[in-house]
Amino acid sequence: MGRPPVSAFVRTGLRLLTVQACWNYERMIGVGLGYASEPLLRALPGGRAGEPYAAAMRRATQYFNAHPYLTGLAAGALARAEHAEVPGEQVERLRDTLLGPLGAVGDRLVWAGTLPAASAVGLALSASAPAGVGVAALLTLYNVPHVALRVWGLRAGWRSGAALARALGTPLLRAALRIIGPLATVCVGLALPAVAGRLAGTLELAAWVAAAAGAAAAWVVGRWLAPSLGVVRLGLLAAVVVWLGTAW
Amino acid sequence: MTDVLVRVDDRLVHGQVVVGWGRALGLRHIVLVDDAIRASPWEQDLYRMGVPSAVQIEFASVADAATAFPRWAADAAHTILLLGSVETLARLCAVAPVRRVNLGGIHQQPGRREHLPYVFLTEAEADRLRALDRAGVAISAQDVPTRRAVPIEELLA
Repeated sequence: MGRPPVSAFVRTGLRLLTVQACWNYERMIGVGLGYASEPLLRALPGGRAGEPYAAAMRRATQYFNAHPYLTGLAAGALARAEHAEVPGEQVERLRDTLLGPLGAVGDRLVWAGTLPAASAVGLALSASAPAGVGVAALLTLYNVPHVALRVWGLRAGWRSGAALARALGTPLLRAALRIIGPLATVCVGLALPAVAGRLAGTLELAAWVAAAAGAAAAWVVGRWLAPSLGVVRLGLLAAVVVWLGTAW
Repeated sequence: MTDVLVRVDDRLVHGQVVVGWGRALGLRHIVLVDDAIRASPWEQDLYRMGVPSAVQIEFASVADAATAFPRWAADAAHTILLLGSVETLARLCAVAPVRRVNLGGIHQQPGRREHLPYVFLTEAEADRLRALDRAGVAISAQDVPTRRAVPIEELLA
């Protein structure tokens, strides 16, 4: 089995940063995954002019979706399967099977874990430490695991190939999945009083009244009138009301 | 009594299910109904990795579902059945008393037409859904709990 040069892995790693650039409902991140995987496929027999490369590229750009930070696992595993001359149908089956688990693991690890935890620590430090410390903490706590996850994913994907469940089952990742959710909850719980205390020292009474009224109204709207409002829109609505109250 | 929720989603176990619906329903049990995955241990290993340890995942074939459905329905409020296609749904409905179906993600393929950004159907699939609707199965499309559920009549209008 051929092995792409190190420079191909570097190129793929960099291209994976743009994996969502061509996101659409039809193929989701499929085109992005194909673009990112392309350097790893150049070393297939016949090079870029060969049929294996063309067939692998056709497969690589089909419909695909996963958490963007874990897409390297798919890029590495699928490229390895192509180099190992696994039949095309089996490569497609592997690709279809990776869709869900890589999304579920990534969402739990990042969107429901690292992101709220890092944001909460950043907010708490912004409320209690000198200017800039909170922002630095947020960027560091979020991006160190994020970049590590991307680098690990591509390496582990290439090493594992179709045995990707083994890579996802590493003790470190299992432990991270177990603790990150509760850790995020604890961080948010600690940050809220710190931020509220900071705001209470600067907001006037009228703004607090307006904020309380706005929050109550948003809660009613969100709970009974428009369940599809969602957390982000609810937050934006509350922020606008706070701003109006402050201006008033 | 709540009817067990059957979701058709070609990604099966993924973030919208585990994080989105998982929290909204307080999921304790995911049943993945798919004949090919039921017979494929390596695929089962991958799907297990996507599920939190507090949630039990079970793999079943359509034939298994005929006998196990009453057991799943007993904890319907916290159970979800995941199917990868309308064809599997039609087969399941032929052997089990399915009453509530959520179309969560059926993505583009040659021959399919877009009905919602996350629901693409061939004419044959649309006809199968119409037939199930006429048979009394409540079908709607909703990818995540915070979005509006689109009833089948509106979806296929």
